Amino acid sequence: MLAYKSQTLDNLHIQEEAAKALRKDCIDVTTYRAIEAAHPVNFYTPNPVIKIGLFILTVVIVSFSLGLFSLMTLDIHHPERVIRGLCIFVGLGCYAVLELFIASKKLFRAGLDDGLLWCATGLLICSLATYEDTSTTTWCAITLVTTLLATLRFADMVMAGFAFLAFVGLAFSLLVEMGPVAKTIVPFVIMALSLVVYFMVRRGMRQHLLRHYNRCLTVAAVLALLTFYLAGNYFVVREVSNTMFDLQLQEGQSIPGAAFFWICTIIIPIAYGYLGIRKKDAILLRTGLVLLAAIVFTVRYYHHVMPLEAAMVAGGLILTVGAWALIRYLQTPRHGFTYMEADEPSLADKLKLESLIIAQTYVPGAPKPDMDFGGGSGGGGGASGNY
Amino acid sequence: MDIKVFEQLHQEGLIDERSLTTVKTSEQQRLFSLHWEIKTLLYLGVLLLSGGLGILIYKNIDTIGHQVILLIIGVICAGCFSYCIRQKKPFSWQQVPSPNAFFDYALLLGCLTFVTFIGYLQFQYTAFGTAYGLATFIPLAVLSVSAYYFDHLGVLSMAITNLAAWMGIALTPAQILTANDFGNARIVYTGVILGIILLAFALISSQKNLKKHFAFTYQNFGAHIFYIACIAGICIFDDAHVWWFLFMCVIAAYIYWQAFRERSFYFVLITVLYIYLAFSIVFFRILFKATNIEQLYTGFFYVIGSAIGVILLLINLNKRIKNAGV
Repeated sequence: MLAYKSQTLDNLHIQEEAAKALRKDCIDVTTYRAIEAAHPVNFYTPNPVIKIGLFILTVVIVSFSLGLFSLMTLDIHHPERVIRGLCIFVGLGCYAVLELFIASKKLFRAGLDDGLLWCATGLLICSLATYEDTSTTTWCAITLVTTLLATLRFADMVMAGFAFLAFVGLAFSLLVEMGPVAKTIVPFVIMALSLVVYFMVRRGMRQHLLRHYNRCLTVAAVLALLTFYLAGNYFVVREVSNTMFDLQLQEGQSIPGAAFFWICTIIIPIAYGYLGIRKKDAILLRTGLVLLAAIVFTVRYYHHVMPLEAAMVAGGLILTVGAWALIRYLQTPRHGFTYMEADEPSLADKLKLESLIIAQTYVPGAPKPDMDFGGGSGGGGGASGNY
Repeated sequence: MDIKVFEQLHQEGLIDERSLTTVKTSEQQRLFSLHWEIKTLLYLGVLLLSGGLGILIYKNIDTIGHQVILLIIGVICAGCFSYCIRQKKPFSWQQVPSPNAFFDYALLLGCLTFVTFIGYLQFQYTAFGTAYGLATFIPLAVLSVSAYYFDHLGVLSMAITNLAAWMGIALTPAQILTANDFGNARIVYTGVILGIILLAFALISSQKNLKKHFAFTYQNFGAHIFYIACIAGICIFDDAHVWWFLFMCVIAAYIYWQAFRERSFYFVLITVLYIYLAFSIVFFRILFKATNIEQLYTGFFYVIGSAIGVILLLINLNKRIKNAGV
């Protein structure tokens, strides 16, 4: 099923773990070299920076090839038929080249293969656009099938994400088509589906058989948490049912079952955060933190609690003081939590991203009399001092 | 770390008992890091706070008055700098670690409020009259001195951005293409000069060992502004674009050589991509002197063929940089 050799993927995992152990001084360099030699990886994975360049160039090549072919086969009488044929032809071509490269050159997350895979699936799905009346259900179904196959074959995270979203979209459009009774239970069905997918995915992540799909499953888990929340969020439910099901709500009017959705809006992110802390689960915790913003947005959209600037100052004060207190509190690790950085160096550190962000948020006063110098909200990108 | 992997390695005889126990204890003692979560919250909080206060002051400017605001800004600035001066470690031309987590933020806040202070003075009272150069030169001087004196890369990037502003160029990453009128020949020349100056700074700081870790920031800003200015030159000068391209190649060869010596994938990549872009522009300018369908075809074939060529080149370079260090 997978395009890559299972043995080699295992070896890659072993090498990564050994590298972590080496960084933590658990093993010495000679042991690391021995492990590397005993578990060889013959994949071609270039440096991440070069990868970006390869990706861009691949997309350029595919799009210009598409342009060249359409120039050669231009047919004024049936343009949509030609374009459909071309999309499918070039998409299949990309896929063939991808398979060929992986088989012969052992490409693995090399930028080239990502570019080809995304182009192939994108073009195949886009060929649908040339039919005049493609229903949402068809779109979702085709996308689901294509991306799911791509995920199974290449274990690509982006494909996995799209597959999950297409799945939710398919459920949604099927329910909408089924009639008025089904429409009212759409939020509950989506919530239930998300929950089921989440638990299945979490279980799947522990399965030895699915070990190579771990990253894909992580993506699906995060998205499932998000769709579970969004399906229960008051703003989403009210606005979506208002526009799609012609409820013709006036401003200030509420949807049936408003209390339930308000409770969901506020409880779910807090529950995510709490469970994340309790179980030391980064996925739950980070999703919960992001969704805290969604609570603020939803509440402020319907109830003007206080003027914007007062809310900003109050929120800012709470966040700043809270973060400051947490840093002080976690100066010495407590309950297994720490403020120390994890040991994996990220790409952001290497490119000195923070100093770029500082330069971006800061706009110098240009020498013009009518220039509105934009000081003020510079904030101060986290300058951690380990440059 | 995955304990199962290490148990398997132990069974294969690749790691000894001692290593396995170290791994196990290290994994048991592993702490859950909240570093990025807390930092994001802090950043968001500061952003909200400063934005909210800004709006608050803006709405109540009539009742507060400009002098009071200037005073507040001045007091914050002075407070931050005095804190930094008291806390700082002795100056050295090497990298100096910051004394604590708040030092960096205090310094940043001090620098930002200083720039705001000068800008406010000029905007409200035109304190420097029409000597606009002076109004940007003072922050430039203070920022550069602070960057070196307190050893702060963020402040250094601010100083570089300010140097560019002093020379008349907007240099923040998102504005570099939108806010500059690269159709204007003066901006192009200024950009080229600024780029070369920054590259020279990078060379000096790494060669003379003067704050060696600043070299990357100088090189980064310098390379980008130089390449973009040269590409603009190729686009706007109708009769001299080949010369501009050749000139660009000379400096690019230097950056490339430098990148290879430092084994920097990043600079090799941007050099290859910028040169490729510039070459393609020159190629198309010559190709499309007269337009007909054959040239359109040639153009398509050129892009596809050359992009494949650049991919092969990048793959080859990746291999060579990797091997260069071993």
